[in-house]
Parts: sequence; C-alpha cells; structure tokens
Amino acid sequence: MPTRHFPLVFMINFSALSKRYGPLEAVRELTFQVEPGEVYALLGPNGAGKTTALRCLATLLKPSSGSAYVCGVDVSVDPLGARRRIAFLSSSMGLYQRLSAKELVTYFGRLHGLKGVVLSRRVDEMVELFAIGDFSGRLCGKLSTGQRQRVSLARALVHDPPVLILDEPTLGLDVLSGRTIHDFIVQERGRGKTILLSTHQMEEVDLLADRVGIMRRGELVAEGSPTELVQRLGAPNLARAFLALMSDWALVPGTGQA
Amino acid sequence: MTSAWWVVFRKELRETLRDRRTLFVMIAVPVLLYPVLLIGAEQLFLFGARNLEGETSPVAVVGDPPTTLLDLVDASETLVLTAVPGDLVEAIRSDVVTAVAVVGVANDPDGTREVTLLFDAASDRSQRGRAQLSSVVGAWRDTVLVRRLRDRGLPATFALPVALADSSIARPADMGGYTLGRILPLLLVMMTVLGAFYPAIDLAAGEKERGTLETLLTAPVPAGAIVAGKFATVALIGVIAAGLNLGSMLLTFQTGALQVTQAIGLDVSMPLAAVALIFLTLVPLAVLFGAVFLGLAVRSGSFKEAQNALTPVYILALFPAMLPIFPGIDFSPLLAATPVAGVAFFFRDLMSGDASWGLGGLVLASTTVYAGLALVFAARAFGSERVLFGGDETADVPSERWTSRWFKRAASDRVPSREAALAFVAAIAVLFFFGGIRLQIAYGETGLLAAEWLLLFVPALLFVGVGRYDPRGTLSLRAPRTGHLLAGLLLIAGALPMIWLIGWLQSFVLPIPYELLEGLEELVTAQSWGRFFWLILILAVTPAFCEEIVFRGVLLGGTRTLDPWRIIALNGLVFGAFHLSFETVIRFLPTALLGALIAWAVWRTGSIWVGMLMHFLNNATIVVLTSLPAMREFLSDPEAPPPLWLVPVGALVLGLGMVLLDRSATFEVEQTAHAVRGP
Repeated sequence: MPTRHFPLVFMINFSALSKRYGPLEAVRELTFQVEPGEVYALLGPNGAGKTTALRCLATLLKPSSGSAYVCGVDVSVDPLGARRRIAFLSSSMGLYQRLSAKELVTYFGRLHGLKGVVLSRRVDEMVELFAIGDFSGRLCGKLSTGQRQRVSLARALVHDPPVLILDEPTLGLDVLSGRTIHDFIVQERGRGKTILLSTHQMEEVDLLADRVGIMRRGELVAEGSPTELVQRLGAPNLARAFLALMSDWALVPGTGQA
Repeated sequence: MTSAWWVVFRKELRETLRDRRTLFVMIAVPVLLYPVLLIGAEQLFLFGARNLEGETSPVAVVGDPPTTLLDLVDASETLVLTAVPGDLVEAIRSDVVTAVAVVGVANDPDGTREVTLLFDAASDRSQRGRAQLSSVVGAWRDTVLVRRLRDRGLPATFALPVALADSSIARPADMGGYTLGRILPLLLVMMTVLGAFYPAIDLAAGEKERGTLETLLTAPVPAGAIVAGKFATVALIGVIAAGLNLGSMLLTFQTGALQVTQAIGLDVSMPLAAVALIFLTLVPLAVLFGAVFLGLAVRSGSFKEAQNALTPVYILALFPAMLPIFPGIDFSPLLAATPVAGVAFFFRDLMSGDASWGLGGLVLASTTVYAGLALVFAARAFGSERVLFGGDETADVPSERWTSRWFKRAASDRVPSREAALAFVAAIAVLFFFGGIRLQIAYGETGLLAAEWLLLFVPALLFVGVGRYDPRGTLSLRAPRTGHLLAGLLLIAGALPMIWLIGWLQSFVLPIPYELLEGLEELVTAQSWGRFFWLILILAVTPAFCEEIVFRGVLLGGTRTLDPWRIIALNGLVFGAFHLSFETVIRFLPTALLGALIAWAVWRTGSIWVGMLMHFLNNATIVVLTSLPAMREFLSDPEAPPPLWLVPVGALVLGLGMVLLDRSATFEVEQTAHAVRGP
C-alpha cells in the first residue's frame, strides 16, 4: 500500500477530521497541529470527543472523513507505519496480569520488530530508566499501582517512538502516582518527544502544556498557549476561561466579547 | 524475521498456561477427575448393588394362597414373609413390605389361580422384592405343572416343546468397542469443546475487559496476525485437552481399573491406529470450536457476557454428540457432513471396529471446512472497530454493548431493533412448534385456526404494544394505492407458475413424499360450499393476517436498517424455515421464494396490506384449483411439469408486476425510510 506523506513540519497534524457514530458526530472537522518537541493538551469535559480524536490518531478508530498524520504518515493510509511512530498510553495501563514486568516489556519490543541483542539492551534500558529492576520478574497482576504505572511507561517507550499519545494519563490516580506521570512528561519533552495528551484537569495543563486545544461537543472551540487563552478570553485564569467556553453564555472565542 | 503471529502466539500460550482455570479444565479434569469419577461412580454403584444383594425383602402373600406357595416363600433366603393388616398399597409405599402377591381363589377343578404382584415401579427395593417374589411364584407354578403332568402320566418336558436359548457371537473386544462407542464420543466431544471454552473467553473478551486489547492494537501488528496468534493458542489448548482426555479415558478403561469391564468380560482395548485416527479427527473439531468461541467472545464486552454467549453454543454442540447413544441410527453421508454429529459417529464406528473410510474422510473434510468458515467469522470480528471498541459508522450508540443497546432501543425507539425482531420470531417459532402442534393434534383444523391467531397474531400485537413500538412503522401499516394492489396481484399470478416450475425441478432431487400429497389433498380439497369457505378461512385468510403480521410486519420492520437484498433474503429464509419440518423439506425453497417476493413488495410499498393480499391470493388459488373438478383432473399428477405455455406467460406477468411495483412505489419507499429513521 502506498504511504501518503505530509510535509514534516508538524509531528501531529489533524486535518478536518470527523468521526461519526450513526447520527452522533463525536468529532467534527477537527484541525490542529503539534510541532516537534511540543506538549499539546486537549482539554474538554466528558463526551467532548478528546478520546475519540486520540483513538483516531492511534489508528484504533477510522476517521469518517478528514485525515490525521503522525510524523507525516497518514494514519488511515498506513496505520502500521503510524503505529511504529507512536506510544499510546491510557489510564487503564493495559498490562497483562500473567506476564512478568520484564516479559511484558520484551513482548511489546518484539511486536515493534526489535530482536536479539538490540531488544535485550533496550529492555534493560527501560528497566533501568523506570527503576523496575526490583520487581521485573514479578507478575504484573501482583504489582502495586505505582509499579504497574512504571511498567506501563516502559512498555509504551520500549521502541523509542518520537510521538507520545496520552489519553487521560492521570485519571483515577493518587497524587504521588499522578506526579510520576507529570515527571515522565517533563522528562520526555526534555528528550525531544512530541506529546499529545487529553485531560480535564486545569492544573495539569497549566503545569505541562505548551499549547492547549479546548474541545466542546466534538469541535475545537479555542486554541493557544494557556497564557494566550486566558488573555484572549479575558478570564482571570485558565479554569474560568474554560468554564466560560463551556457555558451557553460563553465569551466569543478570539474576541473576549460576550 | 520472527512473524508477528508467532510472537503473539508464544505470549498467549505462556499466559494461558499460567491461568489456573484453564489448567484445571485442560489437565486436572482429564488426568485426575476422570479416573476418580469413573472408578468412584463404579464403586458407588457396586456398593449400592452389594447392599441390595445382602438385604432380604419383606413381602406379603394375601388372598387365598395355597400352603405350597407359603412354604416356598418361607423357605426363600431372600424373602421375609410379613403380615400386612391394612391397606396393601400404603404398606408398599411406607416400606413395610416391598411387594405383595395377591392370590385368587381356585377357579377350576385343577385349582388354577390368578396371582397379581403389587409393587412400586419407582422404588429400587420394591422392584427387587417383586423380582424375587415373582421367581418364587414361578417356582410354585412349575411345581404345580410338574405335578399335573405326572398325575396324567406325562413327562415333565411335555409342556416345553421348544427350548429357546440366546448365544451371542460377539467377542469380548466387539462388546468392548460397542460399549465404548456409546459412551466415549460424547465425553470426548464435550471435553475437547470445553478445553477451548475458557482460553477463547480469556484471550478475547477478557483482553477487552482488562483494556489490554487497546494497547495491543496500537502495536504495528496486522489484525490478522493477532487473530492467528490467539486462534492458534485456543486451538492448541483444545487439541491438548482432547489428547489428554482421550489418553486418560483409554487408560482408565484399559488398565483394568474398572471392575465392571473385567466382571462382565468386556475387552475395552483399542488398536493404536484407531486411537491415532480419533485424535486426528479431534484436531479439526478443536480448531472449529476454537474459532467459533473466539469469534463469539470477541463480540462480547466482558468475560461474563462472553460466558453467556458461549454457553448456549456449547450446550447446542452436545446434542449432535449425543446421537450415537441412541440405537438404530446408521452413520450416513448426511450425518458425516453434520457438524459434531459426524465426528461423534465416526468415533463410534472406529471404536466398534467397523469404520467407513469414505465417511471418515467426509467427516474430516467437512469439519475442516466448517473450521475454516469459523475462522473467517473470528477474523472479521478482529477487523471491525465496532466489535472491538463498540462503535462504527453504522452503530447508533458508541461504547455500548449489544444487550444494553437492545433494551434501550426497545424502550424508546419507534421500531424494534434487529436483535429484538429476530429474537421475537425465534420465540414465536418455538411457541408455534410446540403449542401449535398440540393444538392441531387436539382440535384438528380448528386447532390450526386457533394456533395461527393465538400463537402468531396475538403475540405480534403484544410485542408491539409491550415494547411501545410505533405500530405504523413496525408493521408497515401504510394504506396501499390501487397500483400497489394491482402489482401484488400480478406478482402472485406470475409467481405461481414459476413456483410450480421450481417445485417440479426440485422433485428430481427431493421427491415429494406420497403420504404428504395424500394428506395435503385431503386438507385442501373442498367437497361442499361450506367446506370451501371454511378452507378459505383457515388456509388463506388466516395465514394472510397472522403470518404476514409476524414476517412482513415485525421481522421486516426490525430489519429495515439492513441492505435491501439482505432484508428480502433474510425474510424469505426465515419464512421458509418457519414452514419447515422433517416431512416438508420440499416446501422450503418454494415457500422461501414466495416469502422473499412478498417481502420485496412490502418493503417497496411500505404496506403490509399488499403482502396480505399476495399471501391470500397464493393460498386461495391453491384451494380453488384443487376444489374445482376440472382442475383436479388437470392437477391429478402433482409431479407433472406446468404446461409449457404457462411458464413464459407467468414470467411475463411476474415481470409486469415487478415493473409496476417498482414504478408506483418509489415515492413510498422514501417516505417509509424517512418515517422509520425519523426526521
């Protein structure tokens, strides 16, 4: 199958992407881009379409119309090519209960085509990077939440992808576990990774995101850096700006006018 | 490079072998539980039998018993003569005695008497007491007979002119094979299928429930490789379970652990070649159920939902495996090509030592084909995002399971969902099959009339009412235009000769049973005007209302979201299947075609009245034709082809009807679709 490439200016590019479930349009004409090394947060209430958008990008769902590109690769045309370039992480962690931590990381390394010395070296690196050496032989079903989370991160990064897609990564986690994820995002940005995450936590966005896209009922209603959004909407902080956008008496995006 | 499916397979196998539940079903049950269960059951049986053997049976002899009989009972080591003062029946029921011999008075000079043995057939003890008492009464009868013969100067053999004795030529190995062939096929099929049960659920629905499937699908692995890896694991576990079961059962039977086989002289050893062939046949069976279970499990949202979906399939699979237990069923090519049944019969014949290689080959080939089809079924599920993540462009509600979708739609939507409509028709079919037949047996033609109205029409109305569906949309109650009715008339007029032609062509393959012809002729032939109108009522008017409301009403209304050709084909097939029975296989094709034609007309016009008219015209025509003396003669040979001129005329009229309906109904189709979907 021929691979269609988009000029590699953006690591992630949504181009008028829509996703319908029967009469329900979960994502409508979504268009935004993420630059290399940038942390982009999709912010929105439940049902805004954040997860659907990320799942389309991760090739789990097929867009109804429009396109999405990862590192210039059209996810609809070359889904396997797109998957090689991403790590997908959701709050469910997705660990196999009856595999040990090391077996799990090795398994995903194999699925990504690593083998032999390269694979074992990469697995060792992950074990060291996420400090899972003490429990690498223990079955995942017997690990604590914090340990599971570290294994999950190692699993996602074993093939060293340039783009990370994080779907509500701190949902349901306690403060300490949430902090681990935040540290991870900061660390990976420092290593030049491009990160797209969905969340509905303002503090997370304030703390981590270079830019924010706010979604409501499947549409992107505002976009910019947290500071820009606050200024543009004339709100005292991001939380108030977000609430204004979500309510029917919303300020007109981009003007600061009601 | 290592294939992706191999990577998936190795991981799935490793994880599955760490699952205690799978290990228990796969290894512990056959290796330990089998011998324990079989030997334990045998010991319990022998213990019970020994207990009964050592026990004496209290019995009573009442009426006018001669002293000889009382002496014989008294002398018996197994019987204890007991006095019963009150009610004899109550004495047996309350275990005071196990059986009672009621001896009548001598009613001829020779002293001939009538003896009745009272006992409780539902009690093992009472049955044993009756047998012992019967033996003593028999001995007394023989004593009397010998005395009478002697009194008349005749030898004791005078009353026994023929001495009859059975002598079986079966060798111990034959009897062993015969016995194994009746017990083992069901157990083997059951355990092989069960071996694939839990791994399939765990690897598909379990993976979805735990959220690991999402992670797996973001790895650069084609869906086909994931299916192949999972399927290979499930099938391998099924094959291992099959092998262990086979080995364990044979060892249990052949090591002499079972005392019963030794005691009755059964040789239950089996040639190695037969064992190898049984195992070879179990492989495609394990593959078949591995794929079926995987395909079903991945369509379920959770482990529990998958268990609910797979259990009926498992139980259903056991029915054909039970067939070899019943005597008198010969292994035929039809049975060989029947899923599961073919395998079970082949096993039976292999164990009995008289297997047919041709049929065995057919079993292997057909099971392999079914396994391939099942694999396609499983693979399609893994390629569908609706199945994997609960939504695609045709799904109405994302991330909802089919069960909740069914109930939600049933509560609020205007027309029933596909699942609801099909479930209703299935329930109606079962109700009609059992209730309708009983009514017809009990009340004849009136019963048939009652069955149609009470078991088809009324439930359809209740379904629409209780489900709060829109009657107009669900039952296609749009008023017909004259053009529609005329088109319906032409369609049936043209279709009748065509269906006659098809029936005639079909008779070369499936001959019409003579009994059926006789029965039908008797049913549909009117001898008087009263009888004629009665026949029109029960055979034409009633089915037109009652069957149409079910098939072109509820079923068509619930399946309107499908592609048109699927709606029509499904409707025809279900309608044909509803009229199917063992005696009337020949009716399937003509009825299905007629059903499909009526479904098309109702779908195009949105009016069930057109369907009712067509159904009425079809059935009434048959009653009229068979009742007219001139026509009766013409139709006297039902296997005769239709007159040659009638075929092109029929085709022309059918074509005219189709064109007319196509032109007159376009507008209504759009309106109906709009009404069904909502604005």
